[in-house]
Amino acid sequence: MTEEKLLEVKNLKQHFKTGRRQVVKAVDGISFDIYKGETFGLVGESGCGKSTTGRTIIRLYDATDGQVIFNGKDVHGKKSRGQLKEFNQKMQMIFQDPYASLNPRMTVMDIIAEGLDVHGLTKTPQERKARVEELLERVGLNKEHANRYPHEFSGGQRQRIGIARALAVNPEFIIADEPISALDVSIQAQVVNLLKDLQKEHGLTYLFIAHDLSMVKYISDRIGVMYFGKMVELADSEELYKNPIHPYTKSLLSAIPLPDPDYERNRKRIVYDPSQHDISEAPEFREVRPNHWVLCTTKEFETYKTEFQNK
Amino acid sequence: MNKILEVKDLKVNFETYGGSVQAVRGISFDLHKGETLAIVGESGSGKSVTTKALMGLIPTPPGKITSGEILFNGKDLTKLKEKELEKIRGRDISMIFQDPMTSLNPTMKIGNQIMEGLIKHQNMDKGKAKRRVIELLELVGIPNPSARVNQYPHQFSGGMRQRVVIAVALACNPKILLADEPTTALDVTIQAQILELMKDIQQKTEAAIVFITHDLGVVANVADRVAVMYAGKIIEIGTVDDIFYNPKHPYTWGLLGSMPTVDSTEDELVAIPGTPPDLIHPPKGDAFAPRNPYAMKIDTEMEPPLFKVSDTHYAATWLLHENAPKVEPPLAVKRRMEGMASGLNNGNSGGDFS
Repeated sequence: MTEEKLLEVKNLKQHFKTGRRQVVKAVDGISFDIYKGETFGLVGESGCGKSTTGRTIIRLYDATDGQVIFNGKDVHGKKSRGQLKEFNQKMQMIFQDPYASLNPRMTVMDIIAEGLDVHGLTKTPQERKARVEELLERVGLNKEHANRYPHEFSGGQRQRIGIARALAVNPEFIIADEPISALDVSIQAQVVNLLKDLQKEHGLTYLFIAHDLSMVKYISDRIGVMYFGKMVELADSEELYKNPIHPYTKSLLSAIPLPDPDYERNRKRIVYDPSQHDISEAPEFREVRPNHWVLCTTKEFETYKTEFQNK
Repeated sequence: MNKILEVKDLKVNFETYGGSVQAVRGISFDLHKGETLAIVGESGSGKSVTTKALMGLIPTPPGKITSGEILFNGKDLTKLKEKELEKIRGRDISMIFQDPMTSLNPTMKIGNQIMEGLIKHQNMDKGKAKRRVIELLELVGIPNPSARVNQYPHQFSGGMRQRVVIAVALACNPKILLADEPTTALDVTIQAQILELMKDIQQKTEAAIVFITHDLGVVANVADRVAVMYAGKIIEIGTVDDIFYNPKHPYTWGLLGSMPTVDSTEDELVAIPGTPPDLIHPPKGDAFAPRNPYAMKIDTEMEPPLFKVSDTHYAATWLLHENAPKVEPPLAVKRRMEGMASGLNNGNSGGDFS
């Protein structure tokens, strides 16, 4: 993997007003980088702000504060149509719900070709048709499916259409927001395998948002764990699962049931107690081990470090 | 062991404009006292319809139990009248629904919702019922129950609401608890709490639980026995160890193979190709044959019976026939069957580190 930064998120904040004086801090100052060609996983419970992060990165929301830098350029802020178009072509999104994210009144052909039309990527109708058919076959559907409507497809097939639509404009970066959680187990594996193959073929970079930790571990190179709008831990996926440091990550990992009865009989769950933290100062994101970042105070930082030396 | 429920050759059809959907196509199983039977399968495999049939909750029309028996206490539930069923529902057999957001009445205080069953089935007066409700809320781990009884469902979080749903189901000390994906809508940490709670309650009340889920991790956690359903039939049934460490049916292999383990390093997940069959016109022979890489000629012609693997373990696949070629499960699944426990302890060692 080349260590070239494709996306930099700097102190991103997304606050929503929910009343006259109430503000929900869905994302509250997170920073991370995504390197070219890698898969970055984002996990956390519902309501922790992981989807909001993805949506803010692709500019579906205007960020309250902070920067998103894609290929050296700021994503947010004022842009001309041309600049926006260029950006929209390079960054695409796959949505969670394959039932709600496809327009029921458009044929599959038009859904997939919409991006081609907007960006003027195909010159003639024949070329357009050929490109759509190529994409359909690539994601494992038939080219005869092009003239059908979304309701004629199953959930897994619809998600494939969503993937074909995202691929149509040759993006560099794809945000996949829980792309498999609405699918059956046997179909999930098909879609994950497809995403992995496409990454190899096109050198894609993914931001993979999910709450299914074993799937995230499987597909991601690095993983960020979010808790209440903050990133609490970030590390290589192997490292994160072997040596979780932040107590929240530990509790999250210990809560996953695994398909192994012997293991389940002996599983000890760790309960996260937010009050166990040192509150003498505001916690910061620090590197406890090489490439392993944890949100902690100076005091906690020292304890974590010594814990590792003693190990 | 004490049999408390016996299902024999149950079939359920739904009439639609397109034809008759055969949702459940002849299943049989027993349920013993104090055990947890997990039913796994994809959506559309008939697992929810099965539990609805046990509760007499199949909407008729369009649904209909076309044949079979459900024996409970010597009575066949499929033949009972609605009035008689009402006496059993909620008292002897009760249900925990999947979605805690929609299975409570938003306009009723939760105390009153739990009380309903107590007043109806046990003829309690209001004061006594209220005391029992507070006890129940305590049992399911809701803090400050005496104040919470007077609150409405929207004042509870998802996990807390699911606890209330469980309290409703437990109110009359049922002998059988049917749980239809009780944790699917919840986060992993909350899911772990609810599973622990259910096991705890089962030990106290000795209720039998039928647990429906598609998450094999949850199955490994809660189940004593497992039934795997596909296209309206039970295709493999056995103890939890039988199913996870010695699976025989290719569909079970596929299910196990398509779940990544936390320490898996394989390049590809073993996906099951294709999609489930159309149950209006179920295929001739083995319904799984079109998706089965090990399918033989006979699979497209004749339906396999349930072959006996051991006293507790049965599987419906022709591969178990004495004339069938010896077939090994895919490597990834085999590794999972053998080395998983040891590998996982490794992967989780970080969890002990503190």
